[in-house]
Amino acid sequence: MSQETVTPDERPGRDTMVEVRNLKTYYEQGGLFGGTPVKAVDGVSFDIERGETLGLVGESGCGKTTLGRTLLQLEEATAGEIRFDGVDVTTLSGEELYEWRQNAQMVFQDPESSLNDRMTIGEIIREPLDVHDWKTARERKQKVRDLLDTVGLKREHYYRYPHQFSGGQRQRIGIARTLALEPDFIVLDEPVSALDVSVQAEIINLLEDLQDEFGLTYLFIAHDLSVVRHICDRVAVMYLGHIMEIGPTEELFSDPANPYTQSLLSAIPEPDPTSTKQRFTLRGTPPNPRYPPEGCPFATRCPVRIRPPEYEHLDEEVWEGIGTLREVLRERERAERTVRERIGELLGRESRFKSLDETYDELFGDVAVPEDVQSVLDDVADLVENDDEAAALALLAEEFASVCDGHADGSGGFDEDDEPIQPEYHSVSVSGRKSFCHRHAEAYREPDDVLDERHG
Amino acid sequence: MSEVSGPTTDEANGPADSGVDRSLRERIRSNPRPALLWAAGALFLVALEFGRLLDGVLVFGQAIVFVIEGFASLPPYIGGNVEGVVAGVAGDTPGLLVGALAHDGTLLAVMFVVATLLQGYLPVRLDDVLGREMSRRRRIYGERLALTAILGAVAFALIYTPVGSIVDTEVGAWVTGVGILSDLPTLTSRELIPNLGHRTPGGGWEGTFMGLSPAWAWAIRNVLVWIYAFVCLAWVWRGYNVYRTYYREADWTPRDDTVKRFRNHYWGMFGLIIVFAFVVLAAFAPAISPVPADANIYEPYNHEFEYLNDDGEIETVYQGRANLLSESDGQGTVGPMSYDDFDRWMPLGTTPDGESMTTNLAYGARTSLIIALSAVGFGALIAIMLSLLSAYYRGLLDIIVVFTSDTIISIPVLVLVMMLVVIFQQSEHWLAEPLDGGVLLAIILGFAYWPGMWRSIRGPSLQVAEEEWVDAAKTYGQTPRKIMRKHMAPYIMSYIMIYASLLLGGIIITVSALSFLGLGITEPTPEWGRLISDGRPYIGTDSYHVSTIAGIVIALVVLAFNALGDGIRDAIDPEADVDGGDAGATAGGGGG
Repeated sequence: MSQETVTPDERPGRDTMVEVRNLKTYYEQGGLFGGTPVKAVDGVSFDIERGETLGLVGESGCGKTTLGRTLLQLEEATAGEIRFDGVDVTTLSGEELYEWRQNAQMVFQDPESSLNDRMTIGEIIREPLDVHDWKTARERKQKVRDLLDTVGLKREHYYRYPHQFSGGQRQRIGIARTLALEPDFIVLDEPVSALDVSVQAEIINLLEDLQDEFGLTYLFIAHDLSVVRHICDRVAVMYLGHIMEIGPTEELFSDPANPYTQSLLSAIPEPDPTSTKQRFTLRGTPPNPRYPPEGCPFATRCPVRIRPPEYEHLDEEVWEGIGTLREVLRERERAERTVRERIGELLGRESRFKSLDETYDELFGDVAVPEDVQSVLDDVADLVENDDEAAALALLAEEFASVCDGHADGSGGFDEDDEPIQPEYHSVSVSGRKSFCHRHAEAYREPDDVLDERHG
Repeated sequence: MSEVSGPTTDEANGPADSGVDRSLRERIRSNPRPALLWAAGALFLVALEFGRLLDGVLVFGQAIVFVIEGFASLPPYIGGNVEGVVAGVAGDTPGLLVGALAHDGTLLAVMFVVATLLQGYLPVRLDDVLGREMSRRRRIYGERLALTAILGAVAFALIYTPVGSIVDTEVGAWVTGVGILSDLPTLTSRELIPNLGHRTPGGGWEGTFMGLSPAWAWAIRNVLVWIYAFVCLAWVWRGYNVYRTYYREADWTPRDDTVKRFRNHYWGMFGLIIVFAFVVLAAFAPAISPVPADANIYEPYNHEFEYLNDDGEIETVYQGRANLLSESDGQGTVGPMSYDDFDRWMPLGTTPDGESMTTNLAYGARTSLIIALSAVGFGALIAIMLSLLSAYYRGLLDIIVVFTSDTIISIPVLVLVMMLVVIFQQSEHWLAEPLDGGVLLAIILGFAYWPGMWRSIRGPSLQVAEEEWVDAAKTYGQTPRKIMRKHMAPYIMSYIMIYASLLLGGIIITVSALSFLGLGITEPTPEWGRLISDGRPYIGTDSYHVSTIAGIVIALVVLAFNALGDGIRDAIDPEADVDGGDAGATAGGGGG
C-alpha cells in the first residue's frame, strides 16, 4: 500500500464517529489448505461523521457488504483499524465486544431471511433487549409495543408471526429490532433492494424520519444509485475492495472525477430522450478478487487508462484486444493442468490450452494492427507456445504497461521485487472529495478530457 | 424512546392492547370455564387409572436412579484408575492421594456441568444478591460456581453426615407410600375384571369377572383399555384446542398449519394410530395380557393356579408345568382364540414354550419401545448437538465430526452392534444387566445410528446457520448457545423428527434381527424377534401362528413408523400438496 490514509480534513465542527483506517478483510486466509485469500476489502480508509448518511455503492461483489459486516465485527478484519468514538473495535472481544454491540446494529437486505419465522414479532423485537437485560420483562414488552408504533406497525402485531406480513412490513419489523437497543450507528445493507418500488419509498422515508428522530448515523449500502442520491449526504464508490471516490453526494453525482464513478453513473438511464449525454459501457467483468490487478484495481477496464507515450495513438480496438489478451494469459497462468491434459499435450492433442491463433483471430482479426505491435504479439505467441505464460506477460507488460498497471513510469521494466505502484487519493474539489486515480496527478491529463477524446 | 407514540395509533392503547400483557394463569383466571371443564375431565381420566400411573412413576424413578448411579460411578472409576496408574509409578501413598484428588475433581467437574445446565433457571441473579454491579461474564461464572458449591455441599452432607441416611429413609418411605397407592384398583386392573379362574364341576366359571368365561372377561377388559386409551388421546387433542381457542395469545402460529396438514394426511394418520396402538400395547401390557408376565414368563414355578381336570376335580398346578403341556411346537398346538388344556385363555395361542403369545407380544412391545425410543433419543441428542456445533463454528470441529461419523458409518451397523454387544455381554458389564441387555443395546444402537441422523440434518443445519437472522442475533450479542437453541435448533428438529420416526422402525427390526440371531435381548425378557426365531421351525406345522403373528406385528409397526415419518415430513413442508394422493411415496426408508 503506497497510500495509507485519506487525510481527514480539519474542518471545524466536524464530529467524527467512525474512523476506518486501511481496513482489510480477506477470506479463507490461513485456511486449512492455505491458498490465496479473497481480498474482499483491500485497504479502505474513510470517516463517518455523527448524524450523517454515508452511502456505499458499487457493483455486486465489490466488497461493500463485507465492509459493512466488518464494521459490525460480523467478519474479522485482517488488518487495519475501525475506531468508534476513538475505540478500536477490532481489538474488542468478550465482554467489551458484547457491551459495544449495543451501539452498532444492522438492517439486513432480505426481509425473508432476517426474521426467524418460528418466533412472534414481539419475541423477535424483544430479543436484543433480553440479551442485554434491559429493565424488567414488563417494560421490555411495553418498549416493543412502542417500537412497533415507531416503525408504523400496530401494537397488536406483537403476537403475530412473520409469515403474516408483507416484505415491506417485515423490513419494518427488522428496523424495529435494530432500534431496540437505541444504537448510534446503523449499517443498512441494501435495505430496500428486495422490496417493491412503491414500498421502497415508504421504507426510505421511514429511515429518514427515524434518523431525524433519534439522531442516527447510517452507513447505507446499495447498488441503486437513485436511492443513494436521495438519502445520502456523502457517497463512497467501491470497486474490487477499494474506495475509488468519496465525497458529497450531489457533487459526486453531477461531476464525477474518478473514471470508475463516471462509468457507473453513465449506466444510469437518462429519462430525457433528447439528452445528448455521452454514454459508454464498461467492457468485461470485474477481475477475480482473489487475483486483483497489481496496480490500480480498475486498470483492466478503465476507459481512460494511461498509455505508454509511444503507443498513445493506437486504435481503441487494438488496446481492447491487448487488454483482453492480458486477461486470458493471466487466467492461463493460474490454471493448473490436469495430468490428462499434460499427457494429451505430449501426444500432440489439442487441449483447452490451445495456441493463441484462435484468440488472436478473435481479438485482432478485423483490426489493423501496426507493425511494431504485431511483432510484439508474435513474440508473445511464441512464448505461450512454449508454455511460458509468465514470460509472455512480462513481455506484454514491458511494452504496453503504464503506471496504472503498477509499473514505474517510463522505465517499462518489470521487476518482481518492486512493490506495484498504486494510485493516490487526490483531492478533487474544495469540499474535500477524494478520488483514487493517477490521472489527477500533475503529470497526466484529467479523466474528463481523455474520456471525451477516446469515447466522445 | 418509550414516550414515542405515533399519531394514528393512540387507540392501540385501548382494550386490544391492555389485554395482552398477562401470563397464562391470568388469562385462565379471566375466563376459567373452558379450562376448568377440560381439567375436570382430565382429572377424571387420571383418577380412573391412578394406580397404573403411579406404577409408571415408580418405573420412571427407577430409570432415573439408574442413570444417576451411572454418572455417580464415574468419579470412583476415574479416581480408581488414576490411583492405580500413580500407585504403579510412585508408590501407594501418593497413589491414594492423587486418586482421591482425581475422584473429587471429577465429581466437581460433573457438578459444574450440572450447574451450567441449571444456571439459566436460577430465580435470583448474583448481582442482585450481592448488591453490586458486575459484568455479564463474571456474573454468569459466579452463578455457576456458586451453584457448584451448593451442589457440592449437598453431596457432602448426603455422603458424610447423618443427613444422608435421613434422606434415604425419607425417600424410601415415599417410595413405599407410592407403591401402596399404586395398588389401588384401576378401571382396567386385573383385580376389577379378573379373567383367571377355573371351570366348576357344575359347568360355570369361578373366579372370573361376574362368572363370565375367561375369554369374555378378557375381551371386556381389553375393550375398556382401548376405549380408555383413545378417549385420553381425544382429550389431549381437545385440551390443545381449548388452549388454542381461549388462551393462546397468537391467533395463528405456523404450527397450526402443520397440524392442519397432518390431520388431512391419511397415510400419516394411519401411521399415527398404529404407533399409538403400539404405545398403548406397551403401556397397558399387564391389562392386555391374559396371564400376568411374572407368573407366565419370569417365575412360572413360583405361581400356581387351579383348574378342573378331566376327572371333574379341582386341581392345583404350576404355571411352568402347564406351560410344558401347552407348547405350540408342531406336536401339539394351542392356536389363536382357544383355551389350553388347563382352561387358560390364549387369544393368540401359545409360544413354543407354552407361554401366552399375547403376554409375550405386549411385554415385547415394552422392550422394543424402550430400546427404540432410548436409542433414537440418545442418537438424536448427539446428532443435534454435533450438527449445531459444526454448522455454527465450522472449521476444524466440522472436519473432526465428519471424520468421526464417516469412520462409524463405514462399519456396517449390524456388524458394529454385534461386536459391541458381544464385548459388553462377555465381560458382564453392569450396563448389560437391565432389561437383559436392552439398555446396553439402546446405547450401542444410539452410538451406531447417530452418524446417519447427523448426516440427515447436516445440510439443514448449514443452511440455517447462513440465515440472516443468525447474523442479526450476533450483531446484538446473543450467546452462541442461545443462537443455536433459539435460532437454529427449531429448524433442525423437524428434519430429525422425520428421520427419527423412520429410524424407530429400523431399530425395531435391528433389535429383532439381533434377538433372532441369539444376540441382543436374552431370555426371559420377551422380545418379538425371538418369537419369530422360536417359531421358525414350526412354520410348516399347525403351530405356524407363532412366527406369523410376530412377523405381522413387526411389519405393521415398522410400516406405521414410516407412515408417520412421511406424514410429519409432508406436514412440515408448506409446499406439500395436502390433498394430493402421493401418500406413502417414500415409505420404507428406515428399514434395517
